[in-house]
Amino acid sequence: MPRTPLERGMEKIRREVIELGGIAKQAVLLSVEALKERDMEKASRVGELEEKSDLLNLDIDESALKLMALQQPVARDLRFVNAMIKISDNFERIADLALKIAEIAQKYEEKELLKPLIDIPRMAATIAEMIDLDLEAIERHESPDTDKLVEMDDFLDDLYNQIYNELISYMLRDPRRIDDATDLLFVARYLERIGDIAAKTGARVVYMVEGRRVWVK
Amino acid sequence: MESKIEVVELNAGFGSTHVLKNISMSIPRNRVTAIIGPSGCGKSTFVRCLNRIHELVPGAWVRGKVLLDGKNIYDSDVDPVDIRRRVGMVFQKPNPFPAMSIFDNIAYGPKIHGMKKGLERIVEDSLRKAALWDEVKHRLKDSPVSLSGGQQQRLCIARALAVEPEVILFDEPCSALDPVATAKIEDLILELRENYTIVIVTHNMQQAARIADYTAFFLMGELIEYGETAQIFENPRDKRTEDYITGRFG
Repeated sequence: MPRTPLERGMEKIRREVIELGGIAKQAVLLSVEALKERDMEKASRVGELEEKSDLLNLDIDESALKLMALQQPVARDLRFVNAMIKISDNFERIADLALKIAEIAQKYEEKELLKPLIDIPRMAATIAEMIDLDLEAIERHESPDTDKLVEMDDFLDDLYNQIYNELISYMLRDPRRIDDATDLLFVARYLERIGDIAAKTGARVVYMVEGRRVWVK
Repeated sequence: MESKIEVVELNAGFGSTHVLKNISMSIPRNRVTAIIGPSGCGKSTFVRCLNRIHELVPGAWVRGKVLLDGKNIYDSDVDPVDIRRRVGMVFQKPNPFPAMSIFDNIAYGPKIHGMKKGLERIVEDSLRKAALWDEVKHRLKDSPVSLSGGQQQRLCIARALAVEPEVILFDEPCSALDPVATAKIEDLILELRENYTIVIVTHNMQQAARIADYTAFFLMGELIEYGETAQIFENPRDKRTEDYITGRFG
């Protein structure tokens, strides 16, 4: 049970950041499903999640500022509050990128995708695993397995490069579908960025817990 | 960082009570060094050893070395009165001499150290350095009792400055002052850093964080951790330091 106002405030922020991380993960998975299934309802739900993530991020920011002003946290408490502000921004950014994917999905209400999606959903599933690792670490106040995060981030980079080459060859074969290929290229690019953010979030948790800087890129 | 004071294996106490245990640390020139720690950890005894006023208490003892510019202040050929002039001290409670005027409070030190000429100049300079001149220049003959607590404390700082010290020790200088007076003293300490080496004992963690370049954490007479203030407050190396500054101690 948290005892002091500082500990209670920190616990509230921790819960909100974990909730925000869950929203970000859901937004990524849903945006890729919306694209794959050309499901406009799912695409619009991503919009709602993104709005919710903005509000939650703002709320976390305000709670953290208030805590710093009134409780003056130091040492591990200071690192915790600082990490929560940064990580909250990271999750909100992930939801923004998911919205961009959902917006691309909305272009395909009436038309077919360039190709059936295989690697893009694999990217989304990997990202979901990375966010889970981050959230578990925040929940337990333990450092996440950064080797595993780096490995998954590298896997995402490989998939992105593979998708890039594949789409270039589509464009060369049929220049009339360059527009559709570019859409998928953007989606893969957004997912690759999200992977970077998820890995950096893990590194931030390490600093929060141990006071040790690690570089994941 | 060039050191002004080098403390080497300092032990001190009263009778059979061993207060300071093997303290070794280097206090840098023209920097503010804060000493923090819970009550009874030896902070005040430590600073009192730096200008040989600890030994004025009956039964007090000191072992080890305190090198001021390389010379041990406990050597037999050193005059403790001269050390107390070079290493001035400002105490927790403002303690101006109540029976003397503001002017005489400042002039007294230089007089007993034989600095008879230019006393008016010394008084004005000292009061200016202590950021008090404008507030008292028209009432130098008044008793210091008429001043506010913050002004009295700045008067005590001016009094310490009048004998041209090299180091100033502050023992909880703001604990009896309101936030406005505290801010003035803190600004003043940061200005004084340009010309003096400062050591400050404080219970106020935020004060140490605001004004100190280096912070030392004492616990039960031992020096637990000493480092740059930002490192101590963001990322302390020792769990005991962390527990103390985050208020989880004991």
